[in-house]
Amino acid sequence: MSPFLAQIERDLMIAWQNRQDLGVMLIFFVIIIALFPLAIGANSAILDPLGIQVVWIAALLAILAGFDRLFAQDVRDGWLDQVSLSPLGLGWYALAKAISHWLTAGLPLLIMTPVMAIMLNIPTIQWPPLLIALLIGSMGLTLLGVIGAALAEGARRGGALMALLILPLAVPLLIFGTLASQSEDGIISPHLMLLGAVFAVLLALAPLVAASALEIGETETGL
Amino acid sequence: MDNQTQTRNAMTPTNTAGEDGLRIDQLSVLRGMALVISKLSFRQQAGEICCLTGPNGAGKSTLLRTIAGRLSAAEGTITCSVPLVYVGHTDGLSGAITGRENLVGWAKVNGLLAPESDIDTALAGFAANRFSDLPVRVLSRGQRRRLALARLALAPSNSLWLLDEPNAGLDRASNDSLDQLVTGHADRGGMVMAATHLDFAAAATPRSLHLAGIMPETSSASAQGKIG
Repeated sequence: MSPFLAQIERDLMIAWQNRQDLGVMLIFFVIIIALFPLAIGANSAILDPLGIQVVWIAALLAILAGFDRLFAQDVRDGWLDQVSLSPLGLGWYALAKAISHWLTAGLPLLIMTPVMAIMLNIPTIQWPPLLIALLIGSMGLTLLGVIGAALAEGARRGGALMALLILPLAVPLLIFGTLASQSEDGIISPHLMLLGAVFAVLLALAPLVAASALEIGETETGL
Repeated sequence: MDNQTQTRNAMTPTNTAGEDGLRIDQLSVLRGMALVISKLSFRQQAGEICCLTGPNGAGKSTLLRTIAGRLSAAEGTITCSVPLVYVGHTDGLSGAITGRENLVGWAKVNGLLAPESDIDTALAGFAANRFSDLPVRVLSRGQRRRLALARLALAPSNSLWLLDEPNAGLDRASNDSLDQLVTGHADRGGMVMAATHLDFAAAATPRSLHLAGIMPETSSASAQGKIG
């Protein structure tokens, strides 16, 4: 088994042992969605057109909220020291973390989405574009979260601030994602392609940015 | 930072024609604004064991972490062409999974072929079989240390072991196992550098590198000199 797959396997084993965290994330997702109708009121003329947007906002918050401890535990345990000396390298390590985090957070959220869609009365014809867009969007958000978590680790102090600085970068994903989800002429809309383009850029950049942030955090020269 | 020509190797055994030891030339390291290691030069040949000694804060851990590439040098070079294995204050174990899973995961991430029998032998070396199937979070400090040290038995024979207080908190039996492991590694041509306050592999008569530490006055003066 390659070191890359071994890192994913290790993270999945740890995630399985800490599976109550997954439950917290899913409940958070459901609660945000449930709060919208309570705040807006029982007027279906206002509520019906908002379903998709509400799902997106809830997904964005739920995914990004789960990131504060992505690297912290590995740094505290000294696992990052071991990884940095291994042939895996910090870039592939960051990508492995992104994949395992998506599998344990993004994927369950995606599976939960049809239930939420019924709750929000989103017409079934809208489900395929919503789910496809949310699939790509959640992967993109996961990569953004990896950047934020790595920066937070590097900064030590003001970690939460660093995570907040990442939020504006989620705007393109949110815009193209919601537009692609509302597509009425087929699943493959121009917006979905743009969403895919944002994801592709993040896929290329996030491991590199995260790796150098983790490296800087560790070396602390002259600071 | 720029003139550091340190090679960080993959754990896979490499062809080490020519230079196969450790060379440290004129190494200076800053922690924060304080100069911790100043103009240190040191050679270590294959098959040698080196004990780092010196008072707390003398820079023993800093030197080990710098060689491991986790801290960058302010100036000077470190040349080492063999794989590195680092066992520091943090054991590198996840508390959520078992000791065995931790060890197997470490071997796989390092691309080492570790059949079940090798894992068993490594664990048995520190009498860790008894608790290796428990989650690490329920283990004591010394038991975790033994699991972390069990990695050494899986490391390639030419590797350089960087051990930060490896025998702190170990019982007598584990201490003897560690000494045996270290002596055997040196006999097969491996290198060991250990920071310790206790007796370490005394049978193999290790070399000693004493770090005296740097007086605060000098450190701030020379640190400013370096940066300015």
